[in-house]
Amino acid sequence: MSLPLLKIELRSNYKIVLLFFAVITLYGGVITGMYDPELEAGINMLVKSMPQIFSAFGMENPGTTLIDFLINYLYGFILVLIPFIYTILMCYKLVAKYIDKGSMAYLLNTHYTRTQIIRTQFVVLLTGLFLLVLYAAGLIAVCSRIMHGESLEIERFLFLNFGLLILELFLASLCFMFSCIFNELKFSVGLGAGLGLVFFLLQMLAQAGDGAAFLKYLTPLTLFNPERVVEYRADSIICLGVLATGAVLFLAVGILVFKKKDLSL
Amino acid sequence: MDVIHIAGLTKDYGNNKGIFDLSFSLRQGEAVGFLGPNGAGKTTTIRHLMGFLKPDHGTARVLGMDCFKNASSVQDKIGYLPGETAFMDNMTGDEFIQFMAGMKDIKDLGYARELTAYFDIDTRVKIKKMSKGMKQKIGLIVAFMQNAPVLILDEPTTGLDPLMQNKFVDLIKREKDSGKTILMSSHIFEEIENTCDRVVMIREGRIVADEAINMIRDNMCKHCEIIFDNTEDAVSFQKLHLDNCSRQENAVCLLSKGDVNVLISQLSRYRIKDINIRSQSLEEVFLKYYGGGRS
Repeated sequence: MSLPLLKIELRSNYKIVLLFFAVITLYGGVITGMYDPELEAGINMLVKSMPQIFSAFGMENPGTTLIDFLINYLYGFILVLIPFIYTILMCYKLVAKYIDKGSMAYLLNTHYTRTQIIRTQFVVLLTGLFLLVLYAAGLIAVCSRIMHGESLEIERFLFLNFGLLILELFLASLCFMFSCIFNELKFSVGLGAGLGLVFFLLQMLAQAGDGAAFLKYLTPLTLFNPERVVEYRADSIICLGVLATGAVLFLAVGILVFKKKDLSL
Repeated sequence: MDVIHIAGLTKDYGNNKGIFDLSFSLRQGEAVGFLGPNGAGKTTTIRHLMGFLKPDHGTARVLGMDCFKNASSVQDKIGYLPGETAFMDNMTGDEFIQFMAGMKDIKDLGYARELTAYFDIDTRVKIKKMSKGMKQKIGLIVAFMQNAPVLILDEPTTGLDPLMQNKFVDLIKREKDSGKTILMSSHIFEEIENTCDRVVMIREGRIVADEAINMIRDNMCKHCEIIFDNTEDAVSFQKLHLDNCSRQENAVCLLSKGDVNVLISQLSRYRIKDINIRSQSLEEVFLKYYGGGRS
């Protein structure tokens, strides 16, 4: 790790994290505020009237408890997507841009090795990701406490966010790996972003109709199953394990390739 | 021991692009100009020295260390100016210099400040808003400030005005006197001529010349432009120097290497309107290596 680099990256990127905080505040705050056990019946009616549209965004089952409600409206899609967009942006800023513009030459013209530099960049990515999920969890927990008293089961809720963090880690490692492997922007950023969006699309299609349900086996997003995670189901925890293993693997491959590859700086 | 040692270095990009079987070395305290037309492979060679590229064959060593395998130790010993100036956005020049000082573990910024004053640059400006010349100055400050024993500069004077180019030449001389080993690529011959002991020429990825500057200077011809009174005289004079002479009407261009007295006695037989004699520039000397243009 390179401390000077870590410092400068954190300093020049905290504004992006703040921006994402704002987006999370908007969605998290509004949707948490929308929860009203009495109104559930009404929303359920609405869902029944156009089930496909709701289920495409993972909202087919509004549920009755607050945590079900949050899973349905936030943890099925929105809160997965927001940190992922942050990931794409940061993979560009932390790795792809340095290689594309050639300023990586300056980072390497030091006593730090390639591995140390790239690990530092990953730590920056990770820090932001961690802060985003932490902030989302904190915000929603506080909003729930203020608006709905003690109806949120904190322990389950925290575990849910832990699961989300693992999923985001997996996606981040995947994107980061592509940034490490390729020199050209269209691959180094494009592959990660493109593949990620395909995952989201597949998930939406799989949830929208019975006929396309098999598509869920084609997207790793399926491995994060919030409904089962909050119930501490063994299978869902194994799935999280698979995601975590994948994350470690992608990161290892990325760093290994980056260490050996030709850099046109 | 050679400070920079390249042996049989080959990187084949296909289509006859790349570098092929390059070998040359620099002793300690030597300044060498690395010359070649665009796309000849200068930057590719330098990238090997910086450990950014892995050679297909051969080795590149700096201070005895393999440039790719021991990249970080090698990079630590090199003050490097990349051919393309790309810094971090959104930083002022000063912030960037301080950041790089941190990265390079430089505790004393005295030399950096000295250089900033020497190049007369306002480092409080955001790099994004800087002109090409200003960016080049920042790059030079960063390359020199760590007092590294080896300097590798890829086209160091691009974007600098003539005044700054002179200042740069003085700086290189000073650094050389303090024992630095300097490799700089260029296609501006004057800056090489005034600073380097030796020139390595590269063309289409292959070395075409590796000669001491003095050798080249001794080989340099006088460039004579003689305007005769009439075309007949010019034609008859041209017959005396068929292989190194060109004529346009009554004006003759002669590349003379022999005894000046011979030329004077030859010319005394004609009526001369005007004569103009100058030293051949390094550029013209190198044209014979480049192959293009006159021979």
